[in-house]
Amino acid sequence: MTANGLIIDFENAGLAYGDAPETLSDVTLQLREGEFRFLTGPSGAGKTSLLKMMYLAHRPTRGRFSLFGEDATNAPREALPALRRRIGVVFQEFRLLDHLTAFENVALPMKVAGINQNQYREDVSELLNWVGLGHRMGAKPPTLSGGEQQRVALARALVSKPDLILADEPTGNVDPAMSERIMKLFVELNKLGAAVIVATHNLRLVQTLGKPVLRISDGRVSRAPGAGGAS
Amino acid sequence: MNRPQISRPEVTETESLSDGEVHEWPKPTLFARLRREPLLPEAGAGGAPLTAVIAVISFLAVLAMASVLVINQSASKWTSELRSEITVQIKGADAAEIAAGASAALRVLEGTDGVIEATLQDEAETAALLEPWLGRGNVQAFLNIPALIEVKVTPGLRRDLDLLRNRLAAASPGATLDDHAVWHNRLATAARSGQALAFAVFLLVMAAACAISIFAARAGLAANHDIVSVLHLVGATDDFIAAEVQRRFFVLGFRGAAAGLAAALIALALAAAAFRTGIGADAFLPQFSVGGWLILWLFAVPIVTCLVTALTARLTVLKTLRQQY
Repeated sequence: MTANGLIIDFENAGLAYGDAPETLSDVTLQLREGEFRFLTGPSGAGKTSLLKMMYLAHRPTRGRFSLFGEDATNAPREALPALRRRIGVVFQEFRLLDHLTAFENVALPMKVAGINQNQYREDVSELLNWVGLGHRMGAKPPTLSGGEQQRVALARALVSKPDLILADEPTGNVDPAMSERIMKLFVELNKLGAAVIVATHNLRLVQTLGKPVLRISDGRVSRAPGAGGAS
Repeated sequence: MNRPQISRPEVTETESLSDGEVHEWPKPTLFARLRREPLLPEAGAGGAPLTAVIAVISFLAVLAMASVLVINQSASKWTSELRSEITVQIKGADAAEIAAGASAALRVLEGTDGVIEATLQDEAETAALLEPWLGRGNVQAFLNIPALIEVKVTPGLRRDLDLLRNRLAAASPGATLDDHAVWHNRLATAARSGQALAFAVFLLVMAAACAISIFAARAGLAANHDIVSVLHLVGATDDFIAAEVQRRFFVLGFRGAAAGLAAALIALALAAAAFRTGIGADAFLPQFSVGGWLILWLFAVPIVTCLVTALTARLTVLKTLRQQY
């Protein structure tokens, strides 16, 4: 997909909000095509900020960041939507649009890409059935439980078959059995070709799946023992 | 950026999270497409208050444009009547001298190419012209009221009246020719001023529509900050978001403009009826009716209002997104 196979490439990147001290410092990490990483660390360590840089909600305030081989640090504003469409994000707080139905929420990435509903109707229906919400397609998020909202958010992240999947605490609102099934799903999607980064506190699941782990602490990313890809 | 094509199996080929039966989203009907939920909720774009403001703006814009058109219509009618007629006035020391001068002037007029019709007003008609100043029954015979001849002329003769003026003066020393130039020029100036004023009001109303749209679009974006942020993060371009807002404002603007047009047409119809039957019937005021080309022009006003509202909102959103997101 990229000339050097790198999906994500941070080099001495830092992120500061306004005049505050840096939330993230000296981030240097790479993620290649088909790789899977867990991102762990205490609350407030900077996991969400790092993911925000990855899905281009923020750009580094220093250093360099490449996404899919493109210089995302200095890319013009007009170039960002095309990069974002290659990323599927499961937000920690779901970020569903309350005035739209579950179907319309899942269809959102297709809609903004200018795809006609006739082309995605079956795909979105299939995906919602697949996450167990076929019977709630017409329901609006405020009427769904936390777990159901999380599955809608998951379906939205996957509907456009992204090259990179970023998930921020994707099992925070579901029971242990569903947590395990969702994590296995990410592993399966990774096997199908997508690069995956999952930020989680659930160390039991991390240990169960045995995938490489990036640890973040005080705004600095390090490679957990036995894991690769970060320096 | 060219994205390499990859062949990835379907997500749903992996183990399902579902334990239940399969459901399908219905095919959208045409009505459902038209009624689809906007990505930015109506409340965030001003909704009912914006519709009401646009209705008022459209009402004022239609009235302003109607004023432009009615003034134009009336001024054209007045000036064309004035341009096709001249008046010959014959003064004299007594009634016999006035009558002789009138006869001589009529002979000159009848023998002049370009005179369509020359009518000598009788004394009663002439006296009636003085009644507004002297009062009914107060015009006495000893006043030696001048004779008036109303003359309809061709445009060719109207362009050069000097020869006729000289011939009349030679035939009847007390005869003077009034080509209504003073009135014509005053009316034309007044009409132009009235039209300019009405058009300035129309432009001001359109400027108000722009200002309201800018304010409402900014407020809408601020109220929907989270939604706009999600749209960006799933890959929406600024143009996509601006088009959503533009569509929303067009629909709101259309509703408001239609209501404003309807109210303005009712007001104009009532005004036209009042002028025909009451306050304007005997006065020196323009008669007008709401129909024909006037209606077509007036229907264009709410469409312009809609477009101004929607395009202003679009440009505002594009600028705001570039500055703040």
